[in-house]
Amino acid sequence: MSGMITVEEAEEVVALPPEQPSLPPGEWIRKNLFSSIGNGVLTVLFALLLVFAFRGLVNFAFENPERDWDAVRANLRLYMTFAYPLDQYVRVWVSLGIVLSLSGLSAGLWSPDGYVSARRISTWFLGGGAVLLAAALAVQGQLQRDENGEFLIDEDLELIRGSWASGLGSRISWFALAAILIGAGAAIWFGLGDRRRNTFVRTVNLTYAGFGVIVGSLWVVRYGHYNGSPAEGTHYADPDSLVAMSTRLPWTVMWVLLGVSYFVGKAVRGWPLLKPLALTFWGLLPFFVFWVVLRDPDIDWAHVWTTDLPMYLAFAVIGGAVLFTLTNPSLGEIGRALAFVLLLVAVFTFVGGFFGWFSMLQKARLSFVFLAAFALVANNFAGEFAKRRTFVIGWLLTLGVMHYFVTLINSASTLNIRSDSFLGGFMFTIFAAVFGLMFSFPLGVLLALARTSSLPIFRLLATTFIEVVRGIPFITVLFFFSIMLPLFLPEGMEVAEHGAVIVGLVLFSSAYLAENVRGGLQSVRRGQYEAADATGLTTAQRTGLIVLPQALRVSIPPLVGQTISSYKETSLFAIVGIFDFLRIANNVVPNQSSPINFVGHKREGLLFVSLIYWIGSYAMSKYSQKLEKKLGVGSR
Amino acid sequence: MTDAMTLHASSTAEMIVCDAVDKWYGDFQALKGVSATIAEREVVVVLGPSGSGKSTWIRCINRLEAHQGGRIVVDGVELTNDTRNIEKIRSEVGMVFQQFNLFPHLTVLDNITLAPRWVRKVPKADAEAKAMELLETVGIPEQAEKFPGQLSGGQQQRVAIARALAMEPRVMLFDEPTSALDPEMIKEVLDVMKGLARSGMTMIVVTHEMGFAREVADRIIFMESGEIVEVGTPEHFFTNPTEDRTKLFLSQIL
Ligand SMILES: Nc1ncnc2c1ncn2[C@@H]1O[C@H](COP(=O)(O)OP(=O)(O)OP(=O)(O)O)[C@@H](O)[C@H]1O
Ligand SMILES: [Mg+2]
Repeated sequence: MSGMITVEEAEEVVALPPEQPSLPPGEWIRKNLFSSIGNGVLTVLFALLLVFAFRGLVNFAFENPERDWDAVRANLRLYMTFAYPLDQYVRVWVSLGIVLSLSGLSAGLWSPDGYVSARRISTWFLGGGAVLLAAALAVQGQLQRDENGEFLIDEDLELIRGSWASGLGSRISWFALAAILIGAGAAIWFGLGDRRRNTFVRTVNLTYAGFGVIVGSLWVVRYGHYNGSPAEGTHYADPDSLVAMSTRLPWTVMWVLLGVSYFVGKAVRGWPLLKPLALTFWGLLPFFVFWVVLRDPDIDWAHVWTTDLPMYLAFAVIGGAVLFTLTNPSLGEIGRALAFVLLLVAVFTFVGGFFGWFSMLQKARLSFVFLAAFALVANNFAGEFAKRRTFVIGWLLTLGVMHYFVTLINSASTLNIRSDSFLGGFMFTIFAAVFGLMFSFPLGVLLALARTSSLPIFRLLATTFIEVVRGIPFITVLFFFSIMLPLFLPEGMEVAEHGAVIVGLVLFSSAYLAENVRGGLQSVRRGQYEAADATGLTTAQRTGLIVLPQALRVSIPPLVGQTISSYKETSLFAIVGIFDFLRIANNVVPNQSSPINFVGHKREGLLFVSLIYWIGSYAMSKYSQKLEKKLGVGSR
Repeated sequence: MTDAMTLHASSTAEMIVCDAVDKWYGDFQALKGVSATIAEREVVVVLGPSGSGKSTWIRCINRLEAHQGGRIVVDGVELTNDTRNIEKIRSEVGMVFQQFNLFPHLTVLDNITLAPRWVRKVPKADAEAKAMELLETVGIPEQAEKFPGQLSGGQQQRVAIARALAMEPRVMLFDEPTSALDPEMIKEVLDVMKGLARSGMTMIVVTHEMGFAREVADRIIFMESGEIVEVGTPEHFFTNPTEDRTKLFLSQIL
């Protein structure tokens, strides 16, 4: 097993306090489960409840003649990427490849020093084996069939089953796997003896090995690949084919990519600037994957040469010159005045565009906004030449990226399907969650700052927004945005329904995030404000350097909680007619009658999507616990 | 007012001038016509019972509180609502608080270099070199990479002093810098302050450390109920105070 090999390789000895001698099992049970009569009764009740629930679940999942896991297995592509055109499917893999490469690279660059003790790993094996064993034992008796292979039923139309023991025979392979897992767990436990607590495996290695085991299983495990025969509207499990015939090769490539990029990241770790660069790429990644890789823009190059590029150059040169002047340390008050004038210009271009006073390319308007924003913070980058140059280069890059994306968004897609409808399934859920977080987080912070600001107008606006949004059910917000948003937009500007619901999600979750951040802001003591003021920091510097970093640290648990709920709330998109992950399980597959008939098979899909949602949420919550520990919430 | 004050004020340049300063918290008047002039390189200790307005007064001098009547002039710049004046004065007036108020999320070094880098636009390397010098001065260069929460109270207060000094202020304000410290740590902080006084820094110190007042102060200002009751040299103050209220205060604490 690859997990075991890593144990030996990455062995590291750390001094720990001696292991508490564990209680003998009888003693432990008495102390924890039957310490009083009341506790004993509760224990028995819960145990019974657990046994029945577990038995029901296992028997539905594996013994029920009505369930058909092919409803999930044969539709995995639909679940994950919905209607993405098959002839372009390689783009999906390329997207995943980019994400995994960047993950590997980042893991190498940051080299997180998480470890899992061998003792922990051994308990995972033992626990997994025990659950599997229990599942094997929870089997119901074999269904009885007549000579034609039809199920036998009794007078109440219930299926007739044989004895419990008769079912066990069908689970030989389960017992075998359980034995292997328990054996492996025991081998680690007893093989390492007292060293099991001091032997550690890097979490990254362990994760990579786990991923490898899953990918390897695609090559080995024989599930019976789905094989449909459209003519008859039936399907059969082909025992000679392997599961994942079409995905095992790409997944293997992904696995290798992840490993290679990890080593590359480790190798170039010492190089300067790589970490901020990686972070920037992470920030741009969702946009790049969506607009460039998946949507494949059909760029009008003639327009680029005649309009787009000259416009970029004009803003780059003039804006760069203005910003370089503004970062002159001896400029003083004139700088602020000039920045304010630029802000007015930016606002004016939008107002003018809204009322149709003059036509102007969206890109030019946005450029003015960006320039004004840069001008407003320019004062903080005043200083020696190198510092000013970095600031101006930052402007050129930001402007370039912005122009690039606006050009992409304005271009048609080469995919020959209507608008954004290629986006669906789990892929859309992920995009919605990521975009939702990327935009709602800054908006939430701004709202929280506005609500606690000393300017009444900001306070009023923010409070009104937050209280209104929090008083409306999310589903209402969604209906509102999917149907009514177009009425509020200026003429000629349209937003696809996919975009509209994401805007709804952003506004909705930003209101909640704002309240969480506000809680954090209130926990920053007065003395911190005074100390920042006394050293001469401006209000903006005080907020960005002193107050927010402390406030956000305190709000990590509620912020992650909110992130998890936004991730799950994307499933409500199903109700406004978007083909998200849940809708495929709930509506699409159960209505599928060709090429194969899956009509009515809802439960399998619902179990499957629950599992995937749960994995994502659980991973986030685990990560936040780690982050809290690392940042020392509560201890510093 | 005594002769000592006029003498001082006339002999050297005026650093801080307070003229009939009034301050209200709602209906409560915390400062009632406070007037004082502090000369360059002078060390003034402010004494007075709890609630007498000592903190309020020195917090008005760097505008952590806004005064409502009278004038405050620091180094020739009058404190008004004009933000430019406030920022200028704050960067020239260092302040040390009773509760240290270090930034808990930054290392000691970052605590000290933050303001010079962002307010004075000092390059990072220069700011850090200067910060190490200051840590040397206050005696804890080895703590530079630690976080405030990992330091003792006395060490934290010395970092706070270094942080204020990093802005190269012309005046330092101390609001009961040793009141939150355990007795064995008070000395290390007072020693740093004595060194600072010897180096010629203009200082206003609110404290209950009579030994420090006697040894270091050029003048002692005694406040009660928002007013300056008596001003004089330590000698005058501790041996033959003129005001009855001063005598009462001294009899209670000595
Ligand atoms: N923010 C405030 N709001 C209302 N009243 C205040 C406020 N701050 C101080 N006061 C009042 O002003 C008076 C002077 O307070 P100040 O803190 O200046 O006293 P102090 O001389 O520093 O006392 P201590 O020795 O206890 O620190 C006190 O009566 C206090 O209650
Ligand atoms: Mg006080």
